[in-house]
Amino acid sequence: MKQQTSANHAVKEPKGLSDRIRWLRDYYFKGTGRAWNNEFTAWTTATPWDVIYNEMTFYIVPETYMLLSTLGASYLQAARPVDLPVDFWSWPLVERRAWFVRDVIVNRVPQEILPGDLIAGARFNIQTSMCFTEKESKKWLKLVKGRGGAREKMKWFHDHGYGNAGATSGHLIPGHERVLKIGWKGVHAELLSRYNTLTEPERKGPKGAQLRAMVTASAMARDLAYKYKDLCAQMAQREKDPIRKQELSMMARNLSRVPWEPAANFWEAVQALWLNHMLVMTDENYPGAGVSFGRVDQYLYPYYHASIRDGMDRDFAKEILKCFWVHANTAYDAMIRNGNQGITAGFGQLITLSGLGAQGADMTNDLTYVILEVIDEMSPILEPKPNVRLHRHTPEALLDKVVEMIESSQGAPFLLNFDERSMAGMMLEARRADLEHLITPDNVHDYAPVGCLENTMVGNDRSGTVDNNLNLLKAVELALTGGRDLIPYTDPMTGKTEKPKQDGPKTGDATTFRTWEAFWQAYARQTRYIIQKCVDLYDVSESIRAQFFPTPYLSCLVQGCAKQARDITQGGAEISLTTLEAVTFATTVDSLLAVKYLVFDKKVCTMAELLAALQANWQGHEVLQAMAKNRAPKYGRDDDEADALALKVMELWCDETWKHRTKSTNRRFRPGMLSWNYWAGDGFILSASPDGRTKGQFLSNAICPSNGADIKGPTANANSVGKVLGGKAVEGPGDWDGYFNLLPNGASHTMTFNPSILRDPEHKAKFKAFLKGYARQGGTALQINMLDPDMLKDAQTHPQNYRHLLVRVTGYNAYFTTVGRELQNEVIERVSHNKF
Amino acid sequence: MKTHPLKEPSGTILEITRMSTEDGPGLRTTVFFKGCSLACLWCHNPESILFKPQVQWLGVGCLGCGICVRTCPENALALTDDGIVINRDRCTGCGLCAEECPSTAMELLGRKWQVRDLADELARDRAYFEQSGGGVTLSGGEAALQMDFSLALLKELRARGISTALDTCGQAPQAVFADLLPYVDLLLFDLKEIDPVKHKQFTGSGNEQILANAVYAAKFKSDHIYPQTIWVRTPVIPGMTDTADNIRGLGGFIRDHLAGAVSRWELCAFNNLCRDKYKRLGLVWPLADLALPEKKQMEALSEIARSVVAPDIVSWSGSTKLIKDENQRPDNKAKNILKPGCR
Repeated sequence: MKQQTSANHAVKEPKGLSDRIRWLRDYYFKGTGRAWNNEFTAWTTATPWDVIYNEMTFYIVPETYMLLSTLGASYLQAARPVDLPVDFWSWPLVERRAWFVRDVIVNRVPQEILPGDLIAGARFNIQTSMCFTEKESKKWLKLVKGRGGAREKMKWFHDHGYGNAGATSGHLIPGHERVLKIGWKGVHAELLSRYNTLTEPERKGPKGAQLRAMVTASAMARDLAYKYKDLCAQMAQREKDPIRKQELSMMARNLSRVPWEPAANFWEAVQALWLNHMLVMTDENYPGAGVSFGRVDQYLYPYYHASIRDGMDRDFAKEILKCFWVHANTAYDAMIRNGNQGITAGFGQLITLSGLGAQGADMTNDLTYVILEVIDEMSPILEPKPNVRLHRHTPEALLDKVVEMIESSQGAPFLLNFDERSMAGMMLEARRADLEHLITPDNVHDYAPVGCLENTMVGNDRSGTVDNNLNLLKAVELALTGGRDLIPYTDPMTGKTEKPKQDGPKTGDATTFRTWEAFWQAYARQTRYIIQKCVDLYDVSESIRAQFFPTPYLSCLVQGCAKQARDITQGGAEISLTTLEAVTFATTVDSLLAVKYLVFDKKVCTMAELLAALQANWQGHEVLQAMAKNRAPKYGRDDDEADALALKVMELWCDETWKHRTKSTNRRFRPGMLSWNYWAGDGFILSASPDGRTKGQFLSNAICPSNGADIKGPTANANSVGKVLGGKAVEGPGDWDGYFNLLPNGASHTMTFNPSILRDPEHKAKFKAFLKGYARQGGTALQINMLDPDMLKDAQTHPQNYRHLLVRVTGYNAYFTTVGRELQNEVIERVSHNKF
Repeated sequence: MKTHPLKEPSGTILEITRMSTEDGPGLRTTVFFKGCSLACLWCHNPESILFKPQVQWLGVGCLGCGICVRTCPENALALTDDGIVINRDRCTGCGLCAEECPSTAMELLGRKWQVRDLADELARDRAYFEQSGGGVTLSGGEAALQMDFSLALLKELRARGISTALDTCGQAPQAVFADLLPYVDLLLFDLKEIDPVKHKQFTGSGNEQILANAVYAAKFKSDHIYPQTIWVRTPVIPGMTDTADNIRGLGGFIRDHLAGAVSRWELCAFNNLCRDKYKRLGLVWPLADLALPEKKQMEALSEIARSVVAPDIVSWSGSTKLIKDENQRPDNKAKNILKPGCR
């Protein structure tokens, strides 16, 4: 073995940064070594019954389960009291909350400007009191932590391998374009008008309370901007350097106008956008995850264009944006001391670039390229995460830039979204969720992805894109056992083992099934069951959130809430869906294929033998396991028979998903596929599966084929993905321009390539052609990794040499050295199996 | 596999590689035919030399279950401490062991395909061909040896509007090329050694027929509607074909006899990643310890080539020695990149 040193591998370095930006970037990367940071501060009403931590927003993050009580208690311990107005406790909850959050961020949390920074708005991570009365507190406590409460139900669901679900913050695209155009002043005025039209009884009821709270919240950004304005003005006065002095004066002027007034130029627009965005995280007490920006190169373009026309230097526009980039990364400070897998992974303040406009026009503009250059020069850096929308007529120049950046950044420093397939999914959603008045052929191009790749409409849509994560594989297990866990669950903390009990429907003794069809029917019934179970679980936290955790500031930014005078957490958005993300798709399909192949088609073993092997975690059944792994067909090889079963699995769970709504908030469920990191963690929970996987091995990731199954290469892999999403219309227009897409939310598809595919211009052209082919044949979203196993192994051994090495898994980015060992090994395994 | 009632020639195919980026323009699906008319010392697809199917044992993944040993009707297999040992005198290449092996440790090299089944398989990447200017490449082995099958396949692909390439060593009767060339969009033609004596020493055959076929093909292509559709490839094997004389000689031949038809001449650096392939086939490879050429040498030979032919048609590819100190990217980490190309 040759000695590996870091010198052998070129890790991307930032380039072309000014002294200002280099300092800010370096300072950010000092992490816990920084004097300044954006860690949570906690604020309490100082009542003995106060609750600060909304744990339910972390129910989809299993890594935090052990910490839920601790975190809640710690925030309370560290919380500083806030003096309340005398009549505070007579207000409805939503008004208490609106006042409290505004008072904390405007009057309690200090304001600072970092050296050289061109954008104001620094500390925003806070944990604030839920502002409960004693009665509310007791009720909340019982519903969340009591027997049969939300936490217990969620834990059981997760521990037994079903997955997870919880009403989660973030994960939407607020209506930034509108607020930039009309300013908070305009929002405020609209709210007042709406309030004035309420009847007297309505004003006394929840509608009045909601609108009054939103009025309070609508002044939060203005009040904070004024604080920063004063600070900038003071700093300008003291500043000796004339250039910096002028910058600070300009910042003070900007902040005296925006975000209250409509933005008039690029600097103002970016300043306003930052404050409006960061306050969403403040309002939700939630650092960033999935709070996305939408099509920034489109709605910032008029300001950019005007400023360039008025003499702004293109490089200065980049300088402003780079400051914005640094700000976005400080969201991570919330958990900066908690370097565990998942938590430090990409938070997904997603921006969207390029893509289709009306009448099939391509919307790439100079700002698209400006932003790509900013990403290129700042990389490696995590936030904001970019998603570049490609389509069949994406200009060559943009594709060239995309390929060039993939080459220089160890894989794509962005996700790629594919418009035609994605828009077909949104049109399907319009039909299936009765939204044809809101999602139309004339506006569907305005869609944008949230978080990683979860497609939604913009400014009027909250579709709970990460809220339900269901392991489809559990239905295979239940079909094998007739509705119980295959192996008993042992609590890792107490060591106590629970006897498996009947949970799913009694679909019969699988060993008596004579036909594959009988097994399929059992699987289908169990699938319907686990979906129902997930829906029910979700409603537990959803109903509690709707009752106890209003977010009036965010509600101001989403169309529908003001009109209905209903908080976004109560289903106020015009498009108010929630998404069921299926996890373990390929493992499930491959397991079904293996049952069919081993037991029914080739009769290699009986069902009883297969069950025994699975119960033994394949120990002592290695030959059968090898056949399951190697001889049974697999999804992801462009094998029409295998892919046909995969499509059947897809249609089954998607159809079932559309049938459900939340009882508490009437949000319809829609399907998607994003596995975040569950496919790693839940692999230790779910028992051995018929595809040959042992307990403890990873499950498949989102819509990707099982690990190592895609032996026919990337084109076959992509073809399989396209087919299971519904493929293309043989004749007729499909759902959009000849395409179908069963997953409106989108599906995460990660592919890893050997860097050799980009080794010279000729090969770059080939890779570009692959992307064009993918736009025709593949899925909705693609994450490209460009890795080499030696480099990763070396990074495991010498993490200190690879602090900035980015890997991209499941559509989230992570610094390789900060992800868990299991995930590291997984990435290495993938890379080692590539056959190019 | 589906079978068709129509009488069609069947072919023996070693492997189908999709999204190949190394066998002609664009993204391609490459069909490796089994059986070759040459036996080059440096061959890095030794499993493609013999026409008859062979089996091989890959240690990775073998469970040692012995199913293959029990399955073999010829008693050609034995389970030893070193794994499965194949008695190649007995093995008929029937492939039963590979069919029964639970873990794919036993592999059958060479499978029969019908033309239309194969064409269906190859058409799966049509969208990628269209976006990249790619298509299907017939490689090997030597596709020209399975003349009837190759011809039928090329016709079928043409009929489906799929662009075709033939990657050939040139050692086949001229009549075969006369039949195939009308259906070949791009001809990848290997010219390895200009000296016929050395050529025989390195490959088992002289180069007379090869050179004559090259001239024939160039003539055919020159009259063609797209004339410049021959790519010449030359393996650069240290101590054998890597002499200045050889490159100069081949260059002179290209200049004098193939001009107007050749749009690219690629010098392919020797690679040694096929070492294990020989072991698996029970063969001793005399070149196992031969070092890779140096980048300097590849560049020098390219310069010589450029001095003889139109300079812009010359390029070189492949891994070279001491990659890590050079600007050249370590581009051949993945073995399969090397499968095709110069034999």
